[in-house]
Amino acid sequence: MTPVLNTELDLAISRIIKAPRAAVWAAWADPRSFEQWWIPAPLTCKVMEMDLQPGGAFVTRMSENGQNFTPHLNACFLDIETERRIIFSNALTGGWRPAKQYYPTALTAIITFKDHPQGTDYAAHVMHKDAGDRGTHHEMGFADGWDTVIDQLAQQVESQQ
Amino acid sequence: MEQYQEQLNGLFQALADPTRRAVLGRLSRGPASISELAEPFEMALPSFMKHIRSLEESGWIQTRKDGRIRTCSIETQAFAAADAWLSAQRAIWEARTDRLEQFVVARTKKEKRR
Repeated sequence: MTPVLNTELDLAISRIIKAPRAAVWAAWADPRSFEQWWIPAPLTCKVMEMDLQPGGAFVTRMSENGQNFTPHLNACFLDIETERRIIFSNALTGGWRPAKQYYPTALTAIITFKDHPQGTDYAAHVMHKDAGDRGTHHEMGFADGWDTVIDQLAQQVESQQ
Repeated sequence: MEQYQEQLNGLFQALADPTRRAVLGRLSRGPASISELAEPFEMALPSFMKHIRSLEESGWIQTRKDGRIRTCSIETQAFAAADAWLSAQRAIWEARTDRLEQFVVARTKKEKRR
């Protein structure tokens, strides 16, 4: 089925990546590769579980100093079509078990990989339950997002001057 | 509405400086004292304090004095005014996609050279 985009709660991102679909898939499906890009430096990411099948666990941890790792994502894969589509949600954990808690809010992400004349048409559709709790957001080390927001705002300001 | 616009202008102006952006980046991870905040910068304390005052006056941060230590913390309402929660999520995913793209393109080039 095709999900409906709710502009209040969802975001859709697409990008033409100049590389074969298999290569983009590999960057996602290989935990050691995934760790390289999922969160921004200097934060480091560690994939604890990435069981690429429906119901498979998807667990990552993150660290500010490379030593003490704290929880980042505890999710469940809902659908996997090799080299085509990944769907996961943190409303469930591995084995389709309902999650006790989710940070910063419940989300479902649909990642699609399509062939494109220039390489791969990569897209992420992320659906949120609600506008998560900001306090939790900070605690859980989502500061990287804020940094990006700040930089973007700053660029906007500088371009206007 | 006009007052709101003025507030936004102040917030944006305060951001147009790398030191102040770095301070906000640090504070987004939790409150910190002035000396902690000043440490990464090679700057005399009075100059650094000007940045702190600019952030405080524009509404980005609040400061509180406990004895001899002044602690700064982020004013979350400023973030709310400057940007919505969903935009923050979008920024996370956009940046994530940028990194994926860079990673894949760099790796593909490397393999071609072999």
